[in-house]
Order: sequence, then structure tokens, then C-alpha cells
Amino acid sequence: MAPGDVVVAEVDTVIFHDLSLYLTGRTFEQEVKGQRILHPERVVIVFDHFFAPATEEGARILQANREFARRHGLPHLFDSGTGNCHYTAIQHGFIRPGAVVVGSDSHTPVHGGLGAFATGIGNNSIAALTLPYGTAWFRVPPTIKLLLQGSLARGVTARDVAQYLVGRLGEDWAGYKAIEYAGDLLPRLDVEERLLFPLMCIDMDAKAGYIEPDEAVAAYIRQRTAQSFELVRNDPDAVYESVQTFDVEEVEPQVACPPTVGHVKPVTAVAGEPIQYAEVGGTPGGRLGDLRRLARVLDGRRVHPDVRLQVVPVTREVFRQALDEGIIAVLHDAGANIFPASSGSNQSTNMGALTAGQAMISTHTRNFPGRNGSPEARIFLASTYTVAASALKGRIADPREFLE
Amino acid sequence: MSALRVRGRCWKVGDNIPTDAIVATANLFKPYEEMARHVLASVHPEFVLGVKPGDVLVAGRHFACSSGRAVAPKALRATGIGVVVAESFARTFYRNAHEIGLPILECPGITEQVREGDELDVDVEAGLVRNLTLGQTIQAVPPPPFLRGMLKAGGLHAYLELHGGEFVS
Repeated sequence: MAPGDVVVAEVDTVIFHDLSLYLTGRTFEQEVKGQRILHPERVVIVFDHFFAPATEEGARILQANREFARRHGLPHLFDSGTGNCHYTAIQHGFIRPGAVVVGSDSHTPVHGGLGAFATGIGNNSIAALTLPYGTAWFRVPPTIKLLLQGSLARGVTARDVAQYLVGRLGEDWAGYKAIEYAGDLLPRLDVEERLLFPLMCIDMDAKAGYIEPDEAVAAYIRQRTAQSFELVRNDPDAVYESVQTFDVEEVEPQVACPPTVGHVKPVTAVAGEPIQYAEVGGTPGGRLGDLRRLARVLDGRRVHPDVRLQVVPVTREVFRQALDEGIIAVLHDAGANIFPASSGSNQSTNMGALTAGQAMISTHTRNFPGRNGSPEARIFLASTYTVAASALKGRIADPREFLE
Repeated sequence: MSALRVRGRCWKVGDNIPTDAIVATANLFKPYEEMARHVLASVHPEFVLGVKPGDVLVAGRHFACSSGRAVAPKALRATGIGVVVAESFARTFYRNAHEIGLPILECPGITEQVREGDELDVDVEAGLVRNLTLGQTIQAVPPPPFLRGMLKAGGLHAYLELHGGEFVS
């Protein structure tokens, strides 16, 4: 198999959220005239955009999805409040090293951080091929290897490095290609932090991101599934289109500024911008590690009166653990608003709309104008630490002063 | 079957246009005719007012990044656009467009060589863009044979129906 070859591969897991299931289900039944889903047990459905629909349209979409799942005998439907689609799939053991994972959410490559081949494919791909035949077609991508070397400076997290790479390399740098992340930084990070790299490979237009799974990944997976899996190792003679090395020691906290995810600056260059909303949530935020980091900065302090700080745990399990650790009480007392496990303000489907002139800083993944309400609102993207510091100050702020 | 030879007026947009600007989330579940009335409205308001069937949309680099939804090329098709020619495409859109049977053509250098309003003749199979207004021909990157087959059939589903559920090389 060489780059450029077209292969048809068996799919192990298909991930839907409420919006993508609705669009794909409609395509399957109306365009494809699909009758039967070949492997219903491989389909994971998570309602993460509408966690409590405020519109009739939202209610209709969820209801149509529930009926679709019932009609086609799909057993794995996680209804509103369960969590973000990717973390729910991980939490419930649907992702394993060596698995082929697809979904029409563009951030599906996140699962490459657990040793899966994972990529986003369209509604028609899934409706016409994956659901009826259990497969997907892929054009084999060339692979670029990115070696991340060194340790992170104080106040800097994987999010900052992943975002730094997007700014440095460009939003279309890896078009139609795969990126393998390696280097001595990765083993120093916990498994969920590593996921930020394949997650954000999409912002360089990569087809997939991958990290060779190690024992830490194996242990993480074993906590979530009893199914056996093989710790896939790289071929010793694997061919890379190029190998590039980045020293991460000098990376500072990074902020993606409007209008695109690649418009990345060090926090020192944007500090002082007033914000009205701050949010920790979404696929790159709201994990237990994020809530712990948020509590570390907020403990004993108060959110700025001009700011609404919104906290969205990534799964119910994370919320429960945060309760047990006393984190939720710390966040609550600091003035944060806690929302149900979901994808939070992503696309402002169920929360997070902004009006002209307002600004939000969040751990989310997208900042295109109009993504959250008015095209004249501004969206900044940053690490949990930077969002936390900004929520306290009412302006975009460098988190390092809170992390002495 | 998709028309792989298109002749029409050129409409131009810039680099890194996200799918959010093609179909905003708020319009995601509306009928295509209604969706089509808002396509690219935030970046090129005149486009939906003046576009005619068979016109050519020319974009810069990394066209249709952001969400991977196939609704984006479907809404573009609903505007009547015959083909999208871009410096480059986001990979999800590149895949989706072929799968729904919307002809697209990657053409490095295109934005320098056509102006809004020029009359263009696009041959997708041959990978050629002719600027009839300026009398120039621009070489593009024709789709690889596999995707050309999909496009000729009219999309992935039509292709699979044509070939009994099998991929032929």
C-alpha cells in the first residue's frame, strides 16, 4: 500500500453526534434508500449539541434521531447529558489501538492519539458505504512525522503547543496528508493531553493524526473496555514524506485570534482584550485535567463581574469525579456556571450565542465569524489556564502570574 | 451524471472560507432552496443574488475548511453553481464534493488569472480552465481516475449502484 492508492477498509466504529446523525440518517433513507445497517453495534450515537433543546427544531432533530435508531436497531444511543461525542465513545470503550474509526465530525482524528486510524468523512460517505457495507474508502495519505522535543514551560500545556504548530505551519500545511506525532514530549504527557495533537491536526488540514500507542495508552483503554486489542507498533521500514523537529521549551501560552484558527499569537500579544464570556469545554476542554487546572487558578478567587464563565464537563463521569474531588464546589464558589456534559457552546446550537461587539475566550476549536451568533462577535481560543486567567481579569490574560 | 464541462460567469472568494460561511449552523436543517439563499452571504453578499445555473465559483486556498458536513457542497449545488475551482480545498470538502457529484477542480494560480465577471469554460476531466474573456488557458489538477469515475457516475451512491456495490479500479 503506497500513498495515493485507494483502499476500502472495514470500519470498527462510526461516531455520530445529534447533528451529523440527522443529516446522515436523512441521506441514508432518502437519497440512498438504505434498508439495513450492516453492523448496528459499531454505531455510536451521542447527543452532544442539543443537551436541552430550546427550539422546536432542536426537539424535532433529537426525536427523529431516536426514531432512526429504533427503526434500524442501533443499540448505542447516548442521549443528551452523557457527554461530548468523542469522549463518550472513548469512555464507553469504542476506541482501541488498531481500530478504524470514522465520523462526519471533523475532529474525529482525535482518536489517532489512542492508536486508532481515525478521520472525518462526509454524511454521504457514511450513508452510502459505511452503514450499508460496513466499510469506507480512503486514499492512502503520505505521512509527515513531527518530533516534539523538550519539556513544557510553566503555564504551557499541550493545547498551546498544538495551537502554536497551527500558527507556525499553516492551516493547509498538511492537506490530504497524515501527521504522526512523536518525540520525547509525548511520554511526559498524560494520555488525554496527548490527544490534543491529533485533535488539532485538522486545523492544518491533515487527514489523520497518529501517536504510536504505548503502555500508558494500553492502561487507559483497559480501564474502559474488556475487549482485547493489540498495541499496534510502527513498521520499522515506515516511509515518511518528511520528518520535522520542534523544540517546545520556548513555546509560550498561545491564543488563536479571529477570524481563523491559524491566526495564532502568544498571549502576551493579545493580553488586555476585554471579554464577556469565557468557557472551558468542548472536545479540547472540559476533561478532568482541565477542570483540575481551572480549579487550581480559580481556588479562592472570584470571576470578574463582567464575565460569565461557563464550564462544560466533557462526560458525566468527569462531572462525577469533579464532584468527588471538590472541584465543582471550588468552581461554583468562584462564580462559574456549570452546564451539562455536552459540546457546550460549539456552534451555539444550545448555548453560547454572542451579539455584535462581544467577545468570548474558550477552549473550543473554532473561531470563524458567525460561528457563535453575530459575525461581528469575536472568538478567541486558548488553553484552560489562559481561559481561567482571562475569566478572573475580564480581559485576555497571561495565566503564568496565577501559577507561581 | 454530472456535467463535467461547465461554462459560465466567474464569482470569486478568498482564502480559508469555512463551511460555516457556506451554510451557517442556523440554516443546517432548512430545505436546500432556502439554504441556497444564504450561501456565502457573509463573505460575498452579491453572489446569491446574481448567480446563474452553470456559473463558476473561484476560491483561494483551503476552500471550505471547518466542518466536514456534506451539506456545504449540496447547498452550493443548490445555488446552481456548475463547478468550484480553487487554489486548494480542505480535504473534507474535496471528498464530499466528489461523493455528492459536485464537480470541483484544484487549480494552483487560478485566483491570479481570472477576475470576477470573466467568462470561464471549465473542463473538469481534462483539468483545464479557459478564461474566454482574457483568452487564456490555465492548467489545473484533474481528479485522479477513481474520483473521476465517482464524479462521472454522479456521486458515491450512484457509483456504487452502477458497479453493484463494488469499487472498480
